[in-house]
Amino acid sequence: MKKRQKSKILSRSSLMSQTKGQLKIQQMAFMLMAVTLFFVLVGMFILVFRFSKLKESATLIEERNALLLVTKLANSPEFSCGESFGSSRLNCVDADKVMKLKDNIKKYSEFWGVAGIQIRKIYPDNGNIKCTARTYENCGIIDIFSKNVNSLPPVSNFVSLCRKDSYKDEVYDKCELAILMVSSEDKE
Amino acid sequence: MNNKGYLQISFGWLFAIIVGAFILFIAIYATTRFIGTEEQTLSAKTGKEIGILLNPLETSFETVKTTFFTMPVETRIYNKCNNYGDFGKQIIQVSQKSFGKWAETNINVGFANKYIFSEKEIEGKKFYIFSKPFEFPFKVADLIYMIPSTEKYCFVRPPTYIEDEIDELDHENLLLEEDCSEEDIKVCFNFGDCNISVWENAGYVEKNGDKVYFEGDALMYAGIFADSDIYECQLKRLMKRLNNLALLYRDKAIFISRTGCYSNLNLLALSNSAEGLSSSSDLSSINYIVEDIKEQNDLANCKLW
Repeated sequence: MKKRQKSKILSRSSLMSQTKGQLKIQQMAFMLMAVTLFFVLVGMFILVFRFSKLKESATLIEERNALLLVTKLANSPEFSCGESFGSSRLNCVDADKVMKLKDNIKKYSEFWGVAGIQIRKIYPDNGNIKCTARTYENCGIIDIFSKNVNSLPPVSNFVSLCRKDSYKDEVYDKCELAILMVSSEDKE
Repeated sequence: MNNKGYLQISFGWLFAIIVGAFILFIAIYATTRFIGTEEQTLSAKTGKEIGILLNPLETSFETVKTTFFTMPVETRIYNKCNNYGDFGKQIIQVSQKSFGKWAETNINVGFANKYIFSEKEIEGKKFYIFSKPFEFPFKVADLIYMIPSTEKYCFVRPPTYIEDEIDELDHENLLLEEDCSEEDIKVCFNFGDCNISVWENAGYVEKNGDKVYFEGDALMYAGIFADSDIYECQLKRLMKRLNNLALLYRDKAIFISRTGCYSNLNLLALSNSAEGLSSSSDLSSINYIVEDIKEQNDLANCKLW
């Protein structure tokens, strides 16, 4: 009788310790899952943070490119007057050349690595009339190109915008005051 | 009985060890990947910044412009070039030293409007750059020459105009014969037995057994400082830009003719021959057309450039 009771108690206690063990394993599994999940979340948070920082620095670099480019763009061969209006001039844009550049802009859209380039006459002010072959003489804006992307406010530089004109069959050089504007892409 | 003792690890421990090891492995792997990505990002950023810093080297009236930049750590700049598309691309790849090892990177940063002439791989902390306009017959681009501070070029018996220019540049790395030392790279003019030989009359530069042909000073310097395949590739890119500019000037000529301003330059021939350039040895044949067009434009009432 005593022996049977003893074996009964023994089997019950081993059953209890087994259930306790299972519970511990379950607890540990949940804990490990929670820890893993925590690290995954932290990792994701860091990645998102880094990625937004990366976008920010990409935008900054683009902006810097536009800023440095605008000061020198007028002297690049596609824009500069060279000696076609007398002697060499600094920051002089050849409007005739630019109008033709505008017609073939597809080739050049990735050339300078910016989102858009525009020239706006400021003196004489011809308003917002866009320059085309028809309006060329009295227009106010030469929209060289603008990409269909989010862009930052443009950076600008004063230039003289010169072209060939004629009066009573006599050819002369006409130069006006303008601003050359370059906008960069907003990557954020 | 004793043998059983040392194997008695409970399931809980075993489970924790396996999962713990797995988590640690994932953490180490993620950190390594993260460092790798950071290195790649830094390389891309540095490459882009170098390219952007070259913007102010666009010349206006000047015949030459010079500057330098310093990197915070030892840096390798790989100069690559491809000539696909309308303008081809200048590619810069940067690798920096971190923890005593060169970061492995394969990020290429491309610029369509830059022409860098240097060796394929240059290394250092400080880099000297100078630029010269390439006119053929109109300004085509500014050529950029990049030299690491560790390399010094010694110009032996240069013609007077080169000597004056080197003197004027006052570059630490470009020396005239009297200031040279034994280790410097010797650039000889019109005689051989040097690291680099410039044969002015024949119009070629000989470097590492390769010959590259030039027209004008800007391309001569390019031949001196660049590896031959970089030179040939960049020259093709320059000819692509020349081709597009020639067409632009032809369109301009038609456009301004409405004002009574006429010019009759053979720009189409220039455009076609520039497009057909297969190597620098073809330059002399284009030069005939260039000289002819230059003369006509200089004499014209309505100059196109």
